[in-house]
Amino acid sequence: MTLKHTIETAFAGLRTNRSRSALTILGIVIGITAIILVMSLGAGAQALILGQVQGLGTNTIAVIPGREPSGPSDVAQVFSDSLKEKDITALKSKFNVPHLASLMPILFGAETGVYGSNTYHLTIFGSSELIAEMFDLHPTEGFFFDENDVKARADSIVIGSKVRDQLFDGSEPLGEKVRIKDRNFRVVGVLPKTGGGSLFNFDEAVIMPYTTARDYVFGIKYYHRFIIQADSDKNVSSTAEDVRTTLRESHGIDDPAKDDFFVSTQEDLAARLGTITTALTWFLIAMASIALFVGGIGIMNIMLVSVTERTREIGLRKALGATERDILAQFLLEAVFLTAIGGLVGIILGTLLSFIISIALSVGLGVNWQFVFPISGALLGLVVSTLVGLVFGGYPARQASRKSPIEALRYE
Amino acid sequence: MNPLIRVEQVGKVFGEAPTQTVALRDVSLHISKGEFVAVMGPSGSGKSTLLHILGFLDDLSSGTYHFEGRDVSTYTPEEIARIRNEKLGFVFQAFNLLPRTSVLENVILPLRYSNVPEREWRDRATRAVQSVGLFHRLSAEPSTLSGGEKQRVAIARALVNNPSVIFADEPTGNLDSKSGQVVMEIIRRLNDEGHTVVLITHETYTAENAKRIIRLKDGVIESDALVTQRAAPETYNK
Repeated sequence: MTLKHTIETAFAGLRTNRSRSALTILGIVIGITAIILVMSLGAGAQALILGQVQGLGTNTIAVIPGREPSGPSDVAQVFSDSLKEKDITALKSKFNVPHLASLMPILFGAETGVYGSNTYHLTIFGSSELIAEMFDLHPTEGFFFDENDVKARADSIVIGSKVRDQLFDGSEPLGEKVRIKDRNFRVVGVLPKTGGGSLFNFDEAVIMPYTTARDYVFGIKYYHRFIIQADSDKNVSSTAEDVRTTLRESHGIDDPAKDDFFVSTQEDLAARLGTITTALTWFLIAMASIALFVGGIGIMNIMLVSVTERTREIGLRKALGATERDILAQFLLEAVFLTAIGGLVGIILGTLLSFIISIALSVGLGVNWQFVFPISGALLGLVVSTLVGLVFGGYPARQASRKSPIEALRYE
Repeated sequence: MNPLIRVEQVGKVFGEAPTQTVALRDVSLHISKGEFVAVMGPSGSGKSTLLHILGFLDDLSSGTYHFEGRDVSTYTPEEIARIRNEKLGFVFQAFNLLPRTSVLENVILPLRYSNVPEREWRDRATRAVQSVGLFHRLSAEPSTLSGGEKQRVAIARALVNNPSVIFADEPTGNLDSKSGQVVMEIIRRLNDEGHTVVLITHETYTAENAKRIIRLKDGVIESDALVTQRAAPETYNK
């Protein structure tokens, strides 16, 4: 019997048992749907996170005080006061870091802001004017503080949308004074609502020159972060290395293992986040595979029942000239068709569900969630479902092919 | 000339000692091309076992079986499948049609396992169905057919590959006398057209359609004689 006719025969076998065939593949459908869903949403989450990280610019390098945390028990803030003013001078020297385009010190912390009778717990963000460009922050009213404000330790602040709502009750905030730590700060700009989608929530923040934050709000002599930009993407890693060398020299450290700071590039961060989401995705796929396994056992069960039930048919086919191979191929193909169809349905269902979920996430949470069709997931789903058919259909098919025609015809 | 079927000293034993049953002992017979042989005997006489052995559906415990001059024990399983497909046609008491499958498809079934090119399938199957008078039921499913019609479809299926021998195991056993008569007329006609027919039955009036009757009892051939007075086809009656 040719392959074409074996395929026709297998299909005919499935068609004559339509509702049973449909129920049989349910397990496979659920398993593959779950895998596609997980892979598609995983890829979407990854794209979202990476997009935000890369939105900061791939030439960005962050310097963070303390040792690089190697585990949850590691206290990263041991050397939290290690980034000092003299480091800025050293890093800005062309001799030390030739490809440094800009350096922005950052300070942050929680404080209470007061306007009239309203108080609000807000986040102080001390930075240079460069933050506006870096995080795409454009005031809808007023303007951002500039370089001169930073130099002059001006009392200019730019407030987030939630700060404005909480403190000003709809009254005009521009030019008004907000009291923080017994000092008055003048509102020069108001930011639009950014939503929860970005890495930092600027809606609850007050942004001011880092000099002002350092001296008048926090009263400290060190910085919480340096954000450095290299002059081009290709110089990022060499610049990161130059930053390390310069800081070690500035801090008098000989052994890199004793660094009291760590340098992280956007690429590092992207790679690390990518690894996490990938690991998570595979973990969920492993979970979904259990459904596939159970589905496979279901197929085997039904195929065994079907073989017993169709003993007469098998005997007849043998009496009419079918070889053991013909029967084996027929039942194996039936199982493979079942699982492959289940796989296809699962792929379609999973893709549809993940499309709906991505729309719901975009609309509901206001994040820029991209629907990703998981091509690798679809291929994997097809291959796996076919394999499930081969593996779990093999035993019943073997049983069928070994039936003696006479036993089979006698069977009532 | 070599007989089509030559069986010498064939025995068939089921099960293991001490609970084994002897179905056939030292059965020897020859069947030549074009014969119409009825094998008769009460239930348990071994007539079905003999037919299964002759039809390559079961193997023998002892003795030899030559089909077309060749010792059957030298055939590979693939060759046996081929012989069942090309040289033998089976008609069973219980019809054994595939359910939810059209008459035409049921008759095409043996062709699927044959070397006959697919473009000829429809024609050959249609002609076979026509020859049993069921052309108008080509696309019907077995559940909508009467018992007699089912058996006629089974006969069409048996002869679609133009076999040399047709084995019929109690073909009228599940039919009323009218339908049985129609079926036996078709089988007689096939024999007239040159097919060798081996018919199993326990009914004398059915057996009398044959040209030769072999009587089995307790696995032994009791008698083997030519029929002197064949039943007239039109007087077949239960």
